[in-house]
Amino acid sequence: MSDRKLPRLLQTPAVLLLLIWMLIPLGMTLYFSFIRYVLNSLRRPEWTSPSLSNWRGFGNYEFVLNSKDFLFAIQNSLFIVCSILFLTVVLGVLIAVLINKTFPGQGVVRVLLISPFFVMPAVNAVLWINMILDPVLGLQGIAVSGINDVISGLQDAPLVGWFFGLWPQFEPISFRATQTSAYAVITMVTWQWTPFAVLIFMTSLQSEDQQQKEAAVLDGANSWSQFRFLTLPHLARPIAIVVMIQAIYHLSLYAEIEIVSRGNGNKNLPYLIGEFANNNIGAASATGIFAVILANIVAIFLLRMIGKTLME
Amino acid sequence: MGRIVLNNVTKSFGDVEVIPPLDLTIEDGEFTVFVGPSGCGKSTLLRMIAGLEDLTSGSIEIDGAVATNVPPAQRGLAMVFQSYALYPHMSVRKNIGFPLRMAKMGQAEIKQRVEIAAKSLNLMDYLDRKPADLSGGQRQRVAIGRAIVREPAAFLFDEPLSNLDAALRVGMRLEIGELHERLKTTMIYVTHDQVEAMTMANKIVVLRAGVIEQVGSPLELYHKPQNVFVAGFIGSPKMNIFSGSEAAKLGASTVGIRPEHLDVSMSGGRWKGRVGVAEHLGSDTFIHVSDTSLADTVTVRITGDIAVKHGDTIYLIPQSDQLHKFDPQGMRVAQ
Repeated sequence: MSDRKLPRLLQTPAVLLLLIWMLIPLGMTLYFSFIRYVLNSLRRPEWTSPSLSNWRGFGNYEFVLNSKDFLFAIQNSLFIVCSILFLTVVLGVLIAVLINKTFPGQGVVRVLLISPFFVMPAVNAVLWINMILDPVLGLQGIAVSGINDVISGLQDAPLVGWFFGLWPQFEPISFRATQTSAYAVITMVTWQWTPFAVLIFMTSLQSEDQQQKEAAVLDGANSWSQFRFLTLPHLARPIAIVVMIQAIYHLSLYAEIEIVSRGNGNKNLPYLIGEFANNNIGAASATGIFAVILANIVAIFLLRMIGKTLME
Repeated sequence: MGRIVLNNVTKSFGDVEVIPPLDLTIEDGEFTVFVGPSGCGKSTLLRMIAGLEDLTSGSIEIDGAVATNVPPAQRGLAMVFQSYALYPHMSVRKNIGFPLRMAKMGQAEIKQRVEIAAKSLNLMDYLDRKPADLSGGQRQRVAIGRAIVREPAAFLFDEPLSNLDAALRVGMRLEIGELHERLKTTMIYVTHDQVEAMTMANKIVVLRAGVIEQVGSPLELYHKPQNVFVAGFIGSPKMNIFSGSEAAKLGASTVGIRPEHLDVSMSGGRWKGRVGVAEHLGSDTFIHVSDTSLADTVTVRITGDIAVKHGDTIYLIPQSDQLHKFDPQGMRVAQ
């Protein structure tokens, strides 16, 4: 008895701290989500301080569910997260397999590949939206106008001029627009997080059993079969890890969305919470609870799916 | 259907030549064992036959056709690895069926052939388990099953028993021997354990530093080792080898005598010594004798039991027709 008591006693402060850390914010959020609580109201000044006398029941939840952006925000959250997950995992596996071979300059290439991960999210967003995706000043604008110039030059050329005359004038895409801002966010986050996937997959590839591969070679497996039947199952667990960590991270994307379009055409749940939190803390808290539920569903669903398809 | 011929085969890793030019013929249906100390190139040689290592020069023929540049899968050979190399996420059934699946065989036929193989290896109860749920011996049998479903021209074994415990090793040794008797397929077996070599082989190839020291049947190697290295390597406990004045008296520069070919006497004999450790196995007694004029310790093997204790004086009498004599180059001198 006594020899188990002491370790437990010594663990208590850490466990208590963790509980406080988790339970208090969650409890506060739950509490706020059931009361009327706003930051500023001239008409009902009693709502500006949290109190049980302002009890609203499920009113905040109802309000959030009926607000016009809620369903769109959930849809868009899932769209962004799933796109990023798909792209980073596919690109990550391909790049990791590619650079797992030995080649000259391997070390430099690996460091360069990892480097996007060290850029801060807000900086990443500013760089992409202004320097790369901007339709006028960015790389995109320059490239599109360059192509247009070349084509218009070729239209005057003899013999082939008529062919280029059929070509349209290319228009640069504005990635701050309602229809495209989600794609901009997906692109920049994918760029930033692919290195994370590469890093995890690369370490896993290095622990792959070489004798299994040799056995597969003797069994008549070509490169594709070796990849499909040995490498991919071997990567199943790291893929699950990458998917879970990223799903949790990307459900709370904020900086990129704010910087690209200020939520124009591209809201997710955290952004919606941010908008509510400008004044309506009760609604923001209710949205927060929805976000927690969504995150859990996504995590469980994704893990099941990956576990089934890859482990055979 | 499994005659393998190596012609002038060499292998170098960078500037280091691990296998100098080497010729060897393995007849169809033979159980050949490559044996030698660690790093003697025996595994490299096996991997070259399998096609997992390129030849630096020379050629390999399998069934009369040059196979030097044939990819491993098309050589018709199956290999069993030391670590078993089973596919960890596949069931036993899928592991055994993998080579057939890669050969694009129909589902029904794969199932049938896997079950025949599993039945012959007593694996029927484990077909749906993963390799992680099997014992070492069962895993080894799955690896063998994966090899036999392909009906290869020859089996290659790369130290397949070295990860098993002693009791299991004896059992698997018998099973592999049984398998060879049943299938009559060529088998090449690599080991550093001369007991495995002696018990299983039709033909033993003793290798040292990539050079074949001797090729022959187990008993040929035991009775007529061609040089000092083979004499010391084959046989357990090791042959007593000595040189110097006692060897000169016997008319050779180096003389070897096996522990079982020495008789002992407490009263008098050719060589006097003092008993060190005596190991009583019941059926045999190994006596390690020190302070002889021959070598630091001389091992004697006595059938049955003998009452000696540490420090006793003992006399050794060689059976004169069992002496192995070697010239200054270490080569056998004909008697």
